Amino acid sequence: MTFTIANTLADVLVALAAGARPIAGGTDLVVGARQGKDSLPETLIAIDRVGELRTIEAADDHTRIGSGVTHSMLVSDPLIVEQFTAIADAAALVGSPATRNVGTIGGNVMNGSPAMDTGAPLVVLGAEAELSTTAGSRRVSLDELWVSPGRTSAQTDELCTALVLPNPPDGAGSAYVRLEYRRAMEIAVVGAAAAVTLDGDVITAVRIALTAVAPTILELADLSGLSGRAVDESFFAAVASAASEQAAPISDLRASDRYRRHTIGVMARRATEAAVRRAQGEVIDVPVNRALGVGAAS
Amino acid sequence: MAITDLPEFIRADGPDKVTGSGRYTADMTLTGQLVAKFKYAEVSHARITNLDVSAARAIPGVFAVLTADDVPDLRYTPVIADRTLFARDVVRFEGEVVAAVAAISAAIAEQAIDAIVFEYEALPIVTDLEAAVADGSTLVHPDLDSYVITGDTPHEGNVATHSSIEMGDAEAAMASADVVISSRYVADASHAAPIEPRAIIAQWEGDKVTIWTSTQVPYDARDGVCETLQLPSNKVRIIVPHLGGGFGGKCGFHFEAHIAALAKAAKRPVKLVFSRWEEFVAPDRRREGMIIDVTTGVMHDGTIVARTGALLLDNGAYSADATFFPQAAAMHVAGPYKIPNIKIDSRLVYTNHQPSGSVRAPTAPQGCWAVESHTDEVAAAISMDPLDFRRKNIVHTGAIGPVGQTYDEIGLDQCLELATKSAGWGNELPDGEALGIAVGWWPSFAASAGAFAKMHGDGKVQLITGANECGTGSVMTLRMIAADELGLDQTDIELVYQDTAAAPVGPGATGSQTLLNHGRAVETASRQIADQLKELAAVHLEANADDIVLSGGMASVAGTPTVSVPIVELAAEAAEGDLLLGSASAPVHDSPELFGSTCLGDQDFASWLAPQFSCHVARVRVDKDTGVARVLQVHTAHDSGTIINPVAAHGQIEGGVLMGIGQALTEGTQYGEDGRQQNAGLLEYKLQTIADAPSIHTQFVEIFTPNAGPKGAKGLAEAPNVATAGAISNAVARATGVRVRQMPMTAERVWDALTTSAREDDS
Repeated sequence: MTFTIANTLADVLVALAAGARPIAGGTDLVVGARQGKDSLPETLIAIDRVGELRTIEAADDHTRIGSGVTHSMLVSDPLIVEQFTAIADAAALVGSPATRNVGTIGGNVMNGSPAMDTGAPLVVLGAEAELSTTAGSRRVSLDELWVSPGRTSAQTDELCTALVLPNPPDGAGSAYVRLEYRRAMEIAVVGAAAAVTLDGDVITAVRIALTAVAPTILELADLSGLSGRAVDESFFAAVASAASEQAAPISDLRASDRYRRHTIGVMARRATEAAVRRAQGEVIDVPVNRALGVGAAS
Repeated sequence: MAITDLPEFIRADGPDKVTGSGRYTADMTLTGQLVAKFKYAEVSHARITNLDVSAARAIPGVFAVLTADDVPDLRYTPVIADRTLFARDVVRFEGEVVAAVAAISAAIAEQAIDAIVFEYEALPIVTDLEAAVADGSTLVHPDLDSYVITGDTPHEGNVATHSSIEMGDAEAAMASADVVISSRYVADASHAAPIEPRAIIAQWEGDKVTIWTSTQVPYDARDGVCETLQLPSNKVRIIVPHLGGGFGGKCGFHFEAHIAALAKAAKRPVKLVFSRWEEFVAPDRRREGMIIDVTTGVMHDGTIVARTGALLLDNGAYSADATFFPQAAAMHVAGPYKIPNIKIDSRLVYTNHQPSGSVRAPTAPQGCWAVESHTDEVAAAISMDPLDFRRKNIVHTGAIGPVGQTYDEIGLDQCLELATKSAGWGNELPDGEALGIAVGWWPSFAASAGAFAKMHGDGKVQLITGANECGTGSVMTLRMIAADELGLDQTDIELVYQDTAAAPVGPGATGSQTLLNHGRAVETASRQIADQLKELAAVHLEANADDIVLSGGMASVAGTPTVSVPIVELAAEAAEGDLLLGSASAPVHDSPELFGSTCLGDQDFASWLAPQFSCHVARVRVDKDTGVARVLQVHTAHDSGTIINPVAAHGQIEGGVLMGIGQALTEGTQYGEDGRQQNAGLLEYKLQTIADAPSIHTQFVEIFTPNAGPKGAKGLAEAPNVATAGAISNAVARATGVRVRQMPMTAERVWDALTTSAREDDS
């Protein structure tokens, strides 16, 4: 096995073209190999020291998060916390401080787990993945990228170099909430992200995506009926029932499908409530899980 | 006591452990060392039809492959000899060792494991406790009657042993009660889950073997090796490097003999290091699953007049040390209450699960959780406050307990008052929050323990003790005791420990008895040296030896501290003459007498030496939409006699509370239809983390307890693990209005109870 540390993106892309596999924090790859899931690739190219991948850049209409940005960086970045708050909510919950210090958003996205915490926030905030090769770059929607648990549509020589997000309009707010049984070293039982835009008390846009209730991150469909509605109890109730109805959860060691179907409604409602409050200008500390209620336990 | 009031000193092994300079067994490497791997059954119950290791033996780099044919043909384990080192004919649980390999590398050892031909015919599995004791059940040990079984151990079918506690006439008293309440509680199995998976290295020199192993009980490990490999005790040396936790999981004899046998066959040192999966499935130490049926008869004025109970405990496939569990569990279901008429039957049931064994306060968290939950149900039935109901019924000084033991001075009533006051019992709380109370108890254990002490010419002391440090605090408290006897600073004392060739026999770290028994031996051995120092000082100071006081490194005449001589001078003098040596054996305590009770299958667990008492009050918040419960505060009060080392005592309570929260809410083994563990890993077996820790407020009711440990101390290591789950259960019930009858009380189970209750309200 060979392990090469790259210093530039160009070196990484050349190595990938030659058949190497990328490694950043290794929090999925190495742990998976040790658990006997998949053995480590023969040729590894370490991308964690490539500075070009570790920046967050704001442009007029969009923000570009480098794929090598760690969860810790996301949680402490003022722009992410203010404008893309749901991502910060999610990043703050991942694993332990050690995991957050080395685990990256690009690794999270390309690992393609339906239980990934940053996935649903990226979806509701309209992120696209930038995939690069020596020949150039393309952007794909996350819906197109995630095929099935652990599988993406990216080619083997493509590196996810960034997540690109449109800058949210005025009156927007977002949040991510998950159900967890303990407060560290946890994986989402179910989770929900919401992004809303308000015009006064009226919802002008709403997107909701769910964690760990389908083979990939699931964005709720048919929410157009919720736009134009006032923020009231019936709006939140509609969100909760849409989430419970559209979820396709499984039963496993962590929860039954029945319990997941119920609690995803609770999480979707809480995420939406927090997103609305943020859109109204209220500051709710990151992560929402700690700032509010017990099920997403304070 | 505020933490700032605690004496300032560090654990002797602390810097090593924190900086990484300390060595655990897995860190060691011996020249020529081979890697050991086990072939496990990985099936819950089967008859072996073909076991062929010839292909594995033929692989280059494989030095030894052993099966049952390669070790003495005998059954072991205390009380019920039902176990063999390697599976013979039948495998009875997934973690049973079928064969062992020693090879030059881990990869070759794996290859050899894969090359072992292991064919079997599956047998019906026994996993349900009630089905296991029903007529016609498949038997886990059809030949049980032919095994060597000692003590009062009534056994039949799948019942390994049947014990009871009985006093008065429970049936008649129940019939006379104003109100009778019956409850059923079910506890899942759980694990000790020490952070260090076990590791063992064995090396032979001639006919002697040295085994480095992560055990809590080096002498039990030695005795197990001697018994199974038929070796004399002076040919087997057990050394324990630093231990990364045990919690009971590393009590008992485990795999030391397998590795010693491999090393002998391979003619090389052999090392075993468990994976996390192995640590979950292979040892015969997990906390037993339990079904608890309990009925209490009570008068309208709150007096308990009778209690009956029927308990089934999951023994797993082999008995390990679990034969005392039924009687222990019965004592916890009786609880520390004045109950004049009682009959609790308790059966230890063979299944095709991993064997159960002593995990920190075996049977107590489940028994206490069930009976304290039940106690709140009884109090509610007569509209009495749970605190007042306990005030009326708990045992106090001079009271007669549920098996006819009369208690000397004890402090349970103070514990109840202190913990409830600290928690603010009766104060209004926000919606979704509530307090829950539980009281618990735990015995102190009589056992032989010895110690040697020697003072060198420079005044420094070595204590040679059989005590083990897996969190017991022996590295602190034994030094404190010796320093106190000798008038020295703790830093003048070093421990030589965890080596059977050096120290006199002792129980090791088991049964909360490091201080109780090892402590007494250390105290006496140190006192012998102190007496010798006083004799020497008497000559120097022209005084009577009885008037010499040792303090601050000086020997002085009582009342005249200026007339003194440094202890180091006396030590130097002794080094040229009669050496300063102490050796002591702590006498084994007598058990208290019982009056008026009769116990079937008595396993010496009805009479309790120096019982420890506790009250825990948990403040819990429940998210009713999801069922997630979070413990916000735990207020504890403990009567463990005199507290010698407050640092260690608070540490024991805090660790015990955290372990108790895990058992209460998130830690439970999940079994598949095939009887195998499904969550044998730290992602799906949910230990509590430090981020989950509540604030913990502890008070000690310090009562000098005669016939106990040094300075009137009782044990404390297991007691904090007893009452936490019961307190949480009662808080959850008060916060939600529903009872969760299965432990762990997971979020989904709480939610299920809430939705079931809502459905019943609707219909």
